[in-house]
Amino acid sequence: MPTVNLPAAQIATDGVCATTGRHDTLVEVIGLTYTFDGTTRPALLDVSLRIGAGDFLVITGPSGCGKSTLALAIGGFLFQQYAGTTTGSITVSGKDARTAPVFEISDTVGLVQQDPEGQFCTLTVRDELAFGLENRCLPRAEIADRISWALDIVQAPHLMDRELKQLSGGEKQKVAIASVMAMRPKVLILDEPTSNLDPQATADIFEVIETIREATEMAVVVIEHKLGYLAPYGPDVIGMRDGSLTGDADDAPVPTRRFPHGVRADWSTPRQPPKERVVVTQDLSVDLGDRPVLNGVCFSAGPGEFIALMGDNGSGKTTLLRALLGLQRPNSGSVTVLGQDTAHTPVSKLARQIGFVFQNPNHQLFADTVWEEATMALGFRDAQHDLATCRVHDLLDRAGLAGRDDDHPYRLSYGEKRRLNLISVLCARPRLLLLDEILIGQDPDNVDLLLDLLETAAAGGTTIVMVNHDPEITPRFATRLVFLAAGRVIIDVPVAKGAAALRDRGLAAYLPAGTRGRLAESTRRPKPRHAADSVPAR
Amino acid sequence: MQPIAYQPGNSALHRTHPLVKAGWMVSVSVLLFLFRQWAAPLPVVALSLLLLRLSGLRLRGRRGARLLLLTSVGLAFTQLLFQDQGSVLARLGPLTLTDTGLRDAVYVGGRFAAVVLLSFLFVLSTDPNDLAYALMRAGLPYRLGFAGITALRLVPMFEQEAETVYQAQLARGIALDRRGPRRWLDWVRRLLMPVLSSALTKVDMLAVSMEGRGFGRMPHRTFLRTVPFTARDAAALVVLALVTVGGVALALQQ
Repeated sequence: MPTVNLPAAQIATDGVCATTGRHDTLVEVIGLTYTFDGTTRPALLDVSLRIGAGDFLVITGPSGCGKSTLALAIGGFLFQQYAGTTTGSITVSGKDARTAPVFEISDTVGLVQQDPEGQFCTLTVRDELAFGLENRCLPRAEIADRISWALDIVQAPHLMDRELKQLSGGEKQKVAIASVMAMRPKVLILDEPTSNLDPQATADIFEVIETIREATEMAVVVIEHKLGYLAPYGPDVIGMRDGSLTGDADDAPVPTRRFPHGVRADWSTPRQPPKERVVVTQDLSVDLGDRPVLNGVCFSAGPGEFIALMGDNGSGKTTLLRALLGLQRPNSGSVTVLGQDTAHTPVSKLARQIGFVFQNPNHQLFADTVWEEATMALGFRDAQHDLATCRVHDLLDRAGLAGRDDDHPYRLSYGEKRRLNLISVLCARPRLLLLDEILIGQDPDNVDLLLDLLETAAAGGTTIVMVNHDPEITPRFATRLVFLAAGRVIIDVPVAKGAAALRDRGLAAYLPAGTRGRLAESTRRPKPRHAADSVPAR
Repeated sequence: MQPIAYQPGNSALHRTHPLVKAGWMVSVSVLLFLFRQWAAPLPVVALSLLLLRLSGLRLRGRRGARLLLLTSVGLAFTQLLFQDQGSVLARLGPLTLTDTGLRDAVYVGGRFAAVVLLSFLFVLSTDPNDLAYALMRAGLPYRLGFAGITALRLVPMFEQEAETVYQAQLARGIALDRRGPRRWLDWVRRLLMPVLSSALTKVDMLAVSMEGRGFGRMPHRTFLRTVPFTARDAAALVVLALVTVGGVALALQQ
């Protein structure tokens, strides 16, 4: 492997390349610029990077900055499966990744993509783990050995005989990682491996990554927003913005917006608990198929409350939200929203006063232009009204979507789509807003923009119920914490008492990093405003 | 209502090799069409029902099961009412009931019911995944086999997505839950784009995942999974061969 002198003003002086003197270089990217056909802005801009055996690298940056594109480039997929123009070079184990078949690159690089479910090729755990090895025509005995090794590494040997569809989100992610691990790549890339996971499952996955690092010589590259979790393991952190590597995480984007109503420092309750009830559920039970999902839920909320709905994956949070809008009918018990029983009211009627934002932004873009999408809920009468259109303009402006009125919603970035989803329900001034994990995969800038819009709505009297996995967000904005476990409400307290309640129940994973206890003491870092600030320099 | 799909179990039928079961299903169905004896379908229907019961398979409440069985009754009635050949057994206004009509009713209705029940037996007792792997091991090109497995995975996924998009539209106050002629048109128009875009994303992701794990690299592949072929399967196959040969010979003599 020839030694290449990386140009100055690059990351060569810190982090990544500092370790490669001791190791073989596995991946070498020099001045790589890539532009997708049909776009003018490069997705990757003059990227240089070297990865050697045993390296542990974290790449972080805002949504749409090119992180996933870089992962696809290193895996060789970018050049084979997408159309675009490339300059610069990228070498993987001595092979030119721009021209070598993906198979050859995959001997070195294993890529675990964001959504575990989407990358499964079979129906059972055993078949899934064996899939890649079978494709390489390995003998059965060796396949059996390797897949039990891989499942041991991800601490999930008990999953071997399960069907994939029965697994929880965290278990699916472990299987997805194991199925790539079984191929024994030299470089393992994990693209936002925890974005859909609850805090406990998130902590589990990061532990798995640490085990991989200890047990193998694999270089591990993690694309991740949640740097707080990874910091104790001491990775090299690289920031990325607008397609370029920005050196280390300190140069990574820091939120520029501040909240008009101020950020609360801790779990305190500013508002008086209101007396009027916007939504009331009584002994609500819901079954999905044969499976009971909600089990006697009693819950109510008043105007202006901002409720954080937390709980493990599969605890019934989404089902509760759906039941509040009547999308899910109760098997027993009742849901009364704005004085109407959901069992006897069409959803489309309830929806005039209730906004619901779903997890996946693409599932709820129906119009041909941004403006049409934003004003859809207004109805014809209001859409003609100056005051209403003025309000929508104002919302679009605040969300950074001014001047995009005529664009097709599908041309927006992931973060922009998410903001448009929110505006399209906010413009009708709903009295109740139901939000299902809308912050997933959003970078800190986008999170701030979204929360800014929500704060204003809550201040105007809208009741907000937000399913949220991020421990840092809950104390900053919620007035009340409701925690579901196995379809029951086990915590329902003003947010000021939330930390104590969570700790009492052994749910410290749901506390902000700074207040978590043992972990906080071991890393001794202040509660980060932006998680990237807290990564120790090496 | 649940669809007619695999019901896990551990009966002798469940444990029989998928291809042996498929062989029986196809062979007996074909023989039923070769045999012209009017009562021939009856033992097949009776045995199939018995086997369903013994294997713990349930048809009650399955989507479409009733429709298919009612169709066979309907076919029988058509023969009964409109066949006017043969000696007359009874008259009912303009309609005549003849002995030929009665036999044809049993033959046509029974044959349809028998074929439907045989396929139910096969579908309800066979894990489609096992079938796909068994076919690939038996020589089906593995690309085709995995196309089938991918369909098994993606179809329920897209059904779920379509449901979510439908709910997202209701939640936006689009009155899809009201009846009206434009409802379906609206529904399809607004459903297509979100589901299509998500399908394309999924396909991209799957392609990366498959290629990244060497799919299509070699002309053949190995298989970890064995679909056991037992002595019982061998015996069932021998009996099947005898029944088929004997049946065809008999049918040709008719």
